[in-house]
Amino acid sequence: MISAIYNFALTTGANRVIRGARIEHVCGDPTLSPEKDYAFGMRIVTTALETLTIAVPGPTLFDPMAPGKESAHAP
Amino acid sequence: MRLELGTFPVKDIVFGGATRYDAGQLTVDRDAVLAAVRQDPRIATAELEIARPGESVRIWPVRDVIEPRIKVEGPGVCYPGICGRDIATVGEGRTHRLAGMGVVEVSSVNWHDAGGDFVETYLDMSGHYGEMYPYAKLVNLCLVVEPDTTLGEEIKNYAVHKAALTVADQLGEAVRSLTPPEREVFERTAVDPSLPKVVYIWCVHSPQAMSGSPTAFCTTTYGLTQLTPPWYLHPNEILDGALTGPYRTAFAMSWTVANNPLFLDLYRRHGKDWNFLGVISLRTEWTTQTEKQLMANQTAKLAKQLGAQGAVVTWDAGGNEFIEVIRGIQACERLGIKTVFLTSEDDATDGAPTMLEPLPEADAIVSTGFFKNTTLGVPDAPAVELRGSTIGLHAGADAALPTAGLLPPPWRYDDHYGFNSLSCIE
Repeated sequence: MISAIYNFALTTGANRVIRGARIEHVCGDPTLSPEKDYAFGMRIVTTALETLTIAVPGPTLFDPMAPGKESAHAP
Repeated sequence: MRLELGTFPVKDIVFGGATRYDAGQLTVDRDAVLAAVRQDPRIATAELEIARPGESVRIWPVRDVIEPRIKVEGPGVCYPGICGRDIATVGEGRTHRLAGMGVVEVSSVNWHDAGGDFVETYLDMSGHYGEMYPYAKLVNLCLVVEPDTTLGEEIKNYAVHKAALTVADQLGEAVRSLTPPEREVFERTAVDPSLPKVVYIWCVHSPQAMSGSPTAFCTTTYGLTQLTPPWYLHPNEILDGALTGPYRTAFAMSWTVANNPLFLDLYRRHGKDWNFLGVISLRTEWTTQTEKQLMANQTAKLAKQLGAQGAVVTWDAGGNEFIEVIRGIQACERLGIKTVFLTSEDDATDGAPTMLEPLPEADAIVSTGFFKNTTLGVPDAPAVELRGSTIGLHAGADAALPTAGLLPPPWRYDDHYGFNSLSCIE
């Protein structure tokens, strides 16, 4: 589950929670240029897809922008 | 800070040659009041109509209901900061109010063009929908107003809301120099130090996230509608309209904010049952987890710094705003401040919790009722006379609908401040 209010997603019981941007634009940021916005959104969505391959013991938060998840396209 | 509130009860409103108040009857010079409204070139059409309790009248679309209040002594103006009004700090001196009446702002102008925030409220002056709201018990002067259609949405909103305040000001002027039949002095006097210290955490919606604009029409603190960190307001500032409606729920009008029974009771029992510290007003609908938690933390910190031992908490919205409200309660409790939460509940039909995020710290909750707009059914099609537009946007239908005849139930009738007598059945 990609969510801007990720704590709520965790307490609700979603096993894989991806930290999104904001409620009104969960997978993007309209303040960025179109290219950077695309890269930002791709990073969130790609992280979400990757987590499907990871076994989790229970509700777990994944932060696409966390250290170790850096990419050349990070805004 | 001392404020004397002079009350002029209005039993009836009639149109007549000069605007004046006499023994409960308010005579309104329709032409003069409308001339003042029409001075604004942004206003295309404006009419005044009277709607009395019990009449078979439907008012639609209701954007706001305003109680006329006017500053007689002391700095500033009532309803400060709204639509260009003075922002001098209010709450001192003397204020006169016309009680038992409302200026109803009736216009098809929607709040903003970003979608979602439809003006929803229609007001029936009789029938069971009317009974749910305090406004159907008021003598209402309806300003049916439409702006120049070529203007942008924010300018339209500014123009029609300013027009409603202009009407309220014109009525208020009629009682400026009169002796009020009822007077009440409000002051946070020094009290017995053993009394518990209580703060009111009054959460109000901000339209900024939904509209994308920091100046979209909505509830205001000194005219500001944007998302702001918590404010500390002296209760006298509230009495002078420093905090106003409306939001799109029926109970979040400016009139209900000005007459909030919970707030008035907290203030009137200052020095008797507790030490009322004042109001912390938190703007809600922050849009990240971090912002919501930050506002919750800062609200609790401010309450602690004020010395609060107890806090009463209300809010005026639904949905994700609940997070900063309930987290604020949690943060207060963790700092040792006991909280009571006055709230409506959500629809639990499909097994969802009646509160979006139930937290164990919120263990003292007063419910004002179950919020499900279909419970009450479709209202009868009354032989209504209409005050307002022949079509109106309806949030429940997400569309413009004809105003006469059958309508969906009101979208939101949850009571934020304890006006009505709806309750829950376990």
